[in-house]
Amino acid sequence: MRIAVLLSAGRHSVSGRPAPVPVELQALRLAVDLANQCGGQSGCDVTGLHAGPELGPLADTLGHGLGHLVHLRTEGAADPAPALAAALEAGGYDLILAGRAGQGGEDAGLLPYTLARGLAWPILADAAGLAPGEAPGTLSVEQALGRGARRRLVVRLPALVTVHPAAPPPLPFAFAGLRRGRVEMREAPPAPAVAPEVEERAYRPRPKLIAKAAAGASALERLRAATEAASGGGRLLVDPAPDEAAREILAHLRALGLPTR
Amino acid sequence: MTDLALLLSFTVLAMVVIAGVLAARRARLWRVGRAAKVDWAAGLLALPKRYLVDVHHVVGRDAYAARMHALAAGGLLAGSGLALLGLIPALGDARLYWWLTALAFAAAFAGGGMVGRRRYPTKPARLSGGRFQLLPFLLAAYTGGGFLVALDASLGGALWPLGWAGLAVAALGGLGLALQIDRGPMRHAFAGAAHLVAHPRPGRFKGERATALAPLDLDAPRLGVALPEEFAFNRLIGFDACIQCGRCEVACPAFAAGQPLNPKRLIQDLAASLQPGGTNAAYAGSPYPNARPVAGIGGPGLPIVGEGAMIHPDTLWSCTTCRACVEECPMMIEHVDAILDLRRFQTLELGAMPARAAAPLMELRYADEPGGRPLTSRTDFAAGLTLPLISAKGEAEILLWLGEGAYELRYGRTLRALVTLLHKAKVDFAVLGAEERDCGDLARRLGDEAGFQRLAAENIATLSRYRFSRILTADPHALHALRNEYRAFGGTYEVVHHTAFLDELAAAGRLSIGALDQARITYHDPCYLGRYNGEVDAPRRLLDRLGIARLEMERSGKRSMCCGGGGGAPVSDIEGERRIPDIRMSQAAATGAGIVAVACPQCSSMLEGVTGARPAVHDIAELVLMAVEKADAAPARPVEVPA
Repeated sequence: MRIAVLLSAGRHSVSGRPAPVPVELQALRLAVDLANQCGGQSGCDVTGLHAGPELGPLADTLGHGLGHLVHLRTEGAADPAPALAAALEAGGYDLILAGRAGQGGEDAGLLPYTLARGLAWPILADAAGLAPGEAPGTLSVEQALGRGARRRLVVRLPALVTVHPAAPPPLPFAFAGLRRGRVEMREAPPAPAVAPEVEERAYRPRPKLIAKAAAGASALERLRAATEAASGGGRLLVDPAPDEAAREILAHLRALGLPTR
Repeated sequence: MTDLALLLSFTVLAMVVIAGVLAARRARLWRVGRAAKVDWAAGLLALPKRYLVDVHHVVGRDAYAARMHALAAGGLLAGSGLALLGLIPALGDARLYWWLTALAFAAAFAGGGMVGRRRYPTKPARLSGGRFQLLPFLLAAYTGGGFLVALDASLGGALWPLGWAGLAVAALGGLGLALQIDRGPMRHAFAGAAHLVAHPRPGRFKGERATALAPLDLDAPRLGVALPEEFAFNRLIGFDACIQCGRCEVACPAFAAGQPLNPKRLIQDLAASLQPGGTNAAYAGSPYPNARPVAGIGGPGLPIVGEGAMIHPDTLWSCTTCRACVEECPMMIEHVDAILDLRRFQTLELGAMPARAAAPLMELRYADEPGGRPLTSRTDFAAGLTLPLISAKGEAEILLWLGEGAYELRYGRTLRALVTLLHKAKVDFAVLGAEERDCGDLARRLGDEAGFQRLAAENIATLSRYRFSRILTADPHALHALRNEYRAFGGTYEVVHHTAFLDELAAAGRLSIGALDQARITYHDPCYLGRYNGEVDAPRRLLDRLGIARLEMERSGKRSMCCGGGGGAPVSDIEGERRIPDIRMSQAAATGAGIVAVACPQCSSMLEGVTGARPAVHDIAELVLMAVEKADAAPARPVEVPA
């Protein structure tokens, strides 16, 4: 299995200095563990990919278990997506791992979706664990849901999977790994700068999402109201038939007063 | 010369030959080690002094052991030497000469008796059994037999039946001793001498503390030590010099806390790894407490650390690097250096540090601070106090290095007390503020030499921009790094600990000190101040100025016990049975003192973490401030540091 891990130019959350993004290091660990499980078969490797003007401390990812890092050098503000998409397409990867979102300041976490759309690959969000699927060419993904819940899904490869911070911690940094690892620099073809797709809208008051207890209610009632609102309500259906699931969703939407035809 | 005496001389000759062959075989194994710079001529010349003064100084702490060793070793060497020289006809024919020889053997016999008395009927737990339990009998046989032969020769053969019996016993015992030379207890005799000559820290014999870790060449093909041959050859000699007296295990805080570390066993495991096809089966001393299972096999070319090797990684990470074992070792073995060499490989090559140690090292890499806290908030503790920044002043007489403790609420009170005292004494001082990075001590002790060297280089670059005459710090770990370990990277500073500095101020009359009511105070020596830097007097002198009764703990000064906070042990967090600070606090409580005076942020937080009824913990700076505020006739504001 050939695995690519997307690495973005992050910043340390406190010092603001360039640093690898922790959740991407966790993705790297999942990739390395998965590659180790394939038991030394040939064609089983992990490559790190970064598109950006410079590598900076991303070279440190070599110390976290990565053997081969490809740096696609782009111009300052150029959109990294085309360069990455081209490299991913040419690389013949079976699995692409990315962090849930970068940590560079303005990372929206949309890049994996852009890439998946460009490659026409399925994308699966918030993996906390990966294992080879039972059928060849599949991957079993443990998906992190809210409140520590987990859901096991099986995807057919190739696929793009983003990793959740609930995944196991990164492999510890080993300085010698940084010396051993290989960095490959490729010039990326010039790409337009990221178009700022910003839309201005007038401010409108939003409804409060937290249910309010009646004024003057006791602390316990206020707490109950707040926590019950967060707990969502609804009914849990395990493995329902598609028709039944659709009916339930429509019934729920009607109950909320949303117009349905 | 009697025939018997001649035969005794030949017996000694045979012993020397056998011992020489076995010793040479063992010494050949040392050659697999890495090269090291050793001044052989100086070492050889200094050997008698190193042995008779430096080694004796340590051995002599146990007077019985010193007398025992002087008699046994002195008598054995003298008797055997004289018996051997008896082959020279002019000497061997003199009856007086044999009388002298008999005297030497008698002394050795008495020493052998003391060895036996120590081991029988009950052997103290710290001494090893196995071959060591045989030693008194071999000594008695050889020296007793030698005595009878020499006595017979001095009387011209008058006691010949006794002489014959003596010769038989002496030959048996002597050959037994000679055969112990490469693996048994006698190995320490020749390996110890070689170790003293080629000691990796010769400065220790010249009155230096010589405690700075050796820098690691980060461009070397492999970093740290994984295989026995990756130790320098003189380190390998050091492992063989161990006589398994167990003084290190008595001193070791991790051993006392039931963590899987026993310095004696560690050195024995390292020595066993040098033997091709070596195993740890021959070891007969106390085990690692709560030992994690290991295969116990090793040899040149085989890894030392791992579950399938000699030493479990938990053993390495239990060490607090307090150097108590090194301080107690009569053979001057450097246990902590060996542990650090092994840790460096684990961290730098394998990234196999304990799980909880990975996070602080990562924060250090990208935030220069092990807790990942902003450097700008290092001075937050001083809210409301004037804390001059050196970037604003450009120069100051004293540069105050705040250290990691500044982030901690409890230690912040200590630093507030120190800053208040500096203002009261009108000291011209300044801090680096947000420009101060972590000194790198934690990274270095956890084996992350790359991280340490980067921090050292960046701190040195920062310090070079400012002019100051001395660095003042309340953190002995920072003191040790700045004073001793930055020198190898081009940073030479005069660094003073706050206890020494406050003592100086008090001596110069710049602080007026009143008497404290708290009568009973005991002082806990920080390892990195006392043992690493030899500063045990200034803190005591300063305490004595406060008008208190100073009580000493069972272990104090350079032989003090660690609080458990050094060497990254709090982040490694290896499970044991007890906590080291609890043990230390019970020693403090045993003195009957109401206050434990500390002088280090690590000691402060470790000892403050002890639960239950116990003496209060105060840094010396807080106590001095209390005394100074007592002296002020009418304090302008309430006492800041509570009693």
